[in-house]
Amino acid sequence: MMNEKLDRLFSPGSVAVIGASNSFDKLGYHVMKSLVGNYRGRIFPVNPKGDEVWGLTSYPSLKAIPGAVDLAVIAVPAGMVGETLHACGRKNVSGVVLITAGFKEIEDPGGASLEAEIRDIAGRYGLPIIGPNTFGFVNLTSAVNASFTSEFSRIEKGGVALVSQSGGICHLCGFLAIEQRLAMSKLMSLGNRCNVDFPELLTYLVNEDDSTKVIALYIEGLDEPRKLLDAARSVGGGGKPIIALKAGKSEKGDSASRFHTGSLAGNHAIWKGALRQAGILEVATAEELLDTAKAIDSCPLPRGPRVAVLSGQAGPGMIASDTLEPSGLSLSRFSEETQRRINDLLPPIAIRTNPVDMGPAWYNPGNIIEILKAVLADEGTDGVIFLAMYASANLKLADGMVEHMKTADPFGKPVIACFTAPPGIWDGPIGALDRKKGVAILPTPERAARAMANLWKVNALANGKGVKTWDR
Amino acid sequence: MGSLMLSVDAVTFLEKEGFSVLKSFLAASEDEATVRAAQIGFPVALKLSSPDVIHKTEADGIRVSLRDAAEVRQAFREIVGSFTSGNPGKRLDGVMVQEQGSGAEMIVGTLTDPQFGPVLMCGLGGIFVEAIKDVTFRLVPIDRRDAREMLEELKGYGALRNPRKGSIDLAAVEDFLLKISTFLKDHPEVREMDLNPVFVSPRGVSICDARIKTG
Repeated sequence: MMNEKLDRLFSPGSVAVIGASNSFDKLGYHVMKSLVGNYRGRIFPVNPKGDEVWGLTSYPSLKAIPGAVDLAVIAVPAGMVGETLHACGRKNVSGVVLITAGFKEIEDPGGASLEAEIRDIAGRYGLPIIGPNTFGFVNLTSAVNASFTSEFSRIEKGGVALVSQSGGICHLCGFLAIEQRLAMSKLMSLGNRCNVDFPELLTYLVNEDDSTKVIALYIEGLDEPRKLLDAARSVGGGGKPIIALKAGKSEKGDSASRFHTGSLAGNHAIWKGALRQAGILEVATAEELLDTAKAIDSCPLPRGPRVAVLSGQAGPGMIASDTLEPSGLSLSRFSEETQRRINDLLPPIAIRTNPVDMGPAWYNPGNIIEILKAVLADEGTDGVIFLAMYASANLKLADGMVEHMKTADPFGKPVIACFTAPPGIWDGPIGALDRKKGVAILPTPERAARAMANLWKVNALANGKGVKTWDR
Repeated sequence: MGSLMLSVDAVTFLEKEGFSVLKSFLAASEDEATVRAAQIGFPVALKLSSPDVIHKTEADGIRVSLRDAAEVRQAFREIVGSFTSGNPGKRLDGVMVQEQGSGAEMIVGTLTDPQFGPVLMCGLGGIFVEAIKDVTFRLVPIDRRDAREMLEELKGYGALRNPRKGSIDLAAVEDFLLKISTFLKDHPEVREMDLNPVFVSPRGVSICDARIKTG
């Protein structure tokens, strides 16, 4: 029941915007902006005043709308929300995005009682509510931007679902996603989590949402964390990795306790253990959350921790190598056959063992791709970190890579690449290589190495293999 | 409200629950201490037992590796002397006479977190607990894999796996953690436990000292 309603909520055939407005200062204006010109279904602005909002016929009430409404986006003052939810219930709306703030998050106890009241009303009609106190959600898969941030529509369509306890983190991550070509299925802030919380969404995203391949969570704090952890465990093995960024590392433990256990148990230390126990990979930063999600979405998981580093220049290869071991990975040793193949492709003026300095082959993209293929075919290598710094002097190189990659079969092992160039020079070709054939592109060698380590950890979490260095 | 169980009481309680503990007796006098020591077999350790003293080392209340009756008498006098002169008005239950433990020291603890409920902790004992907080946590109940990973996650795991002498029975440590997890399920009244130290060695796992909060 919940899943069916969530399905219609996230992929509605029609949307009503209650509190839709032509005035820039109203959130209802920005919700309309997000929907108009992007969403393919029917949009019904609801506003007691105007006849038209954003050029569309406006209705004085939900009731006045001819036909069914699947999703209601509510952006009216808190005091009007109760009555609006009743109207949604009577109209048989499938689900609600409640943008309005002023509920339990405010100091005034009136906010908490208002929230209890709306939860009660929603319960009566079986109405799932995203929010209150949220910017909304974006479903990139079916082009529904039910949020007040129209720019989120620019995120590419892909397999990463971000479920956040903070709207700010969604904005941070959403904007970084646009910049770094992370492709998403859904992006949402749960706000006050009135009746749709992490457990419901995890279950929905893993079991029902085909477009989602990896779930990224941002968690601040939960009253009943075991519900989330139990849900993660029960959907575990659904083949969709769950990764989480948990805020609050600096929180002090209860040092007043006379027991060692008590004084050592900062809340974060428990979270850390509990997340791993539930099969959720914990990451340390927003950047790592996105990098890891992108790598999972784009690459096959490595079967082991042995990595080959192929670099256009020696230095970046060396710093990538330095990052491997503290992350729990190791440099692979090439078989004689692989080494012979590399030696055929690279003149003996650079290091041809792992990490390979591909400098001498640099102007021959065909050879570079052949080296990559040879290394990927090596049984002793589980993944490749592939580094190249392009400048205008490397004319044709990036284009050549794109041409050669077009004919290559998808790689069966992860290739995390760091291809960088001054902005504007190679954006097109680099973008064309990203997220294709098992390649994910990340901004720095260190981030590439860390993401590769996390891919291995995801596999280890799923299969119960020990990871030598879990922490760093 | 709840109550606190300390040293001999706590160790004896855990022994009755089926845990392997170091043989321990409370002695009220020097004579009794020597009799108990002979009964246990040398070497032994002597430890201050007072409801008012939590950190025995800081109270100069521990003497270890005592090889004969004379050393036991000497240690008894020192511990009691130093306690009575340094802690006027504090209660003294006696001195615990205990089988001398050996192996690596670990700490195993449990607590009841307001959000997570029962939680299990393990870490390297001795100075590592205080200095580098090398501990890991899991929610109760745990399974075999959790137990193994709790150990693997420790920064000092290498030292446990390849100690300088002998080898530690890590499977026995995992069994021990699993048993504590089961014990907690059967004893919801136990709010918090501090098993510190627990000796781990090729011969298995033995609880040396414990504090248990119930209620």
